[in-house]
Amino acid sequence: MSYDIAVLGGGPAGMAAATEAAQRGARVVLLEESAAPGGQVYRAPPSGFIGPVDADRRAGDALRAALLASGAELRTGCRVWGVGGGPLVPQREPAAPFRLDALDSDGRSFAMEARALVLCCGTHERIIAFPGWTLPGVLGLAAATILLKAHGVLPGRRVVVAGAGPLLYAVAAKLLKAGAEVAAVVDLAHRTEWLRALPRLAARPDLLAQGLAWRATLVARGVRVIAGAGVTAARGDEVLQAVQVEGAWIACDALCIGHGLVPATEATRTFRAAHRYAPAEGGWVPVLDADQRCSVPLLYTAGDGAGVRGAAAAPASGRVAALAALHDLGLLPDHAAARVAPARDLARAAKAGGAMARMMALRPALVRAIPPETIVCRCEGVTRAEIEAACADGAADMNQMKQFTRCGMGPCQGRICGETAAELVGMHCGGREKAGFATGRLPLRPVPMDALLGEFDYADIPVPKPAPI
Amino acid sequence: MIAGMDVIAEHDRMKDVAHPLRIAGISRPADVTFSFAGTSLSAPEGENLAAALIACGIRRLGEGQDAARPRAALCMMGVCQQCLLRVDGRLVQACLVPVRAGMVVTAT
Repeated sequence: MSYDIAVLGGGPAGMAAATEAAQRGARVVLLEESAAPGGQVYRAPPSGFIGPVDADRRAGDALRAALLASGAELRTGCRVWGVGGGPLVPQREPAAPFRLDALDSDGRSFAMEARALVLCCGTHERIIAFPGWTLPGVLGLAAATILLKAHGVLPGRRVVVAGAGPLLYAVAAKLLKAGAEVAAVVDLAHRTEWLRALPRLAARPDLLAQGLAWRATLVARGVRVIAGAGVTAARGDEVLQAVQVEGAWIACDALCIGHGLVPATEATRTFRAAHRYAPAEGGWVPVLDADQRCSVPLLYTAGDGAGVRGAAAAPASGRVAALAALHDLGLLPDHAAARVAPARDLARAAKAGGAMARMMALRPALVRAIPPETIVCRCEGVTRAEIEAACADGAADMNQMKQFTRCGMGPCQGRICGETAAELVGMHCGGREKAGFATGRLPLRPVPMDALLGEFDYADIPVPKPAPI
Repeated sequence: MIAGMDVIAEHDRMKDVAHPLRIAGISRPADVTFSFAGTSLSAPEGENLAAALIACGIRRLGEGQDAARPRAALCMMGVCQQCLLRVDGRLVQACLVPVRAGMVVTAT
């Protein structure tokens, strides 16, 4: 199968990019891992589940409806594990198309080609390690949002909400409304940090009003808000029973904790695109021009995967990327006029999103406070002490540390431990820029070996006849 | 009991059946039964498996390679790989698959 444009990731950026390109006549395919497009903020509930309709649901439904009407081909429930072609073709043929390898929802493999590739891979949550963070009952703030909003399930009955950024108050308010007890909200930011963000938030009065409503709900219900503090430990027998804040233990059966969002750059790293370290945008982000073009020809990124700006800014950046791709493929006669509206929308939405992203930037003090025996990489069981021992033994960047310790070599491929580990390496080698990032490698996601082998069996291995003695 | 705790958890709240973990006010498909580690459970058909297990009070999904790293849903979005389970023998992320009638779920 061959397309003009493939869009990887069906969140708000990917849906808008595919819609824009297909509406203008391009052959477009959108590949999404979940059962339905939407992404995390606009995630659709499972089919047959009907709940109250809020603003996010309406925004998501509008993007989904436009996508379905646009003529773009939609492949949901598929896991894209391979990217290739394009600049990865050894001969560097300018006309080589991109190639995507994926598994469908039944585990069957398929491949497709596209002349241009728009990456809308979103973000994942940053959770800085602390003693006890591996206990069942500890889950991410974004995870809690998905559990509450898309699945309609409470993470626990008495919940502590901790970390940084607006999700804290969104999750706490939603928990209260859904009938859970919120034992405490533990906010790393001091009140002054929120006050400093206010002028930029004024660009989005709707968001500001929503934030104030969340805070009002907490005050009305008498929820304890502990500002300028963090969870320093979690403990429990088999499952979480209590968390430690400012030296005191708070009993709870769930902890929703998040320290910001990290752009998913595994695909741009695999293509060896240029990246820069931008803490206020979430960390390492691809270097882009004003039209979302990466340093690699015909490769584009949009949405939070290009730098955290929030769901409201994502559709505009997706449209800007799609228009650039159409222009670069010779499919758009008047690019300059077409890009004016989405570029203006992007600039406006990115202003408020940027203020929130700054509050969610990594806080190095959290990493410095991790006790030595705490597990940082939970896939491979690597502790802070082992990472620092590797640095003392000469590991001078993320790739070397990874090879010394196996940190980041497990099934999550460094997505969960990467931020903590990179900060630790950076403390020893002179900063995050020097620590760099783990080189992008295939597969992009874990993939079962039997899915790749297909019908191929041991008996199919050609065995040459032994040479006569 | 943990010294200094402000409230003492007198029982495991996750097993408190009087207060269901499924949020009220959502219309859901009819329940189907499936099994997890040999125990029969029920959940609305099509509910996310990781969410269904949490709603059934099960958060420890299996033992990891050592006691400090048990299996549990952490990210709910297919990233962390901590909720890996076997469904009818096939290795899956619980947070990415729906509940189906009769599915046999086991720890990895």
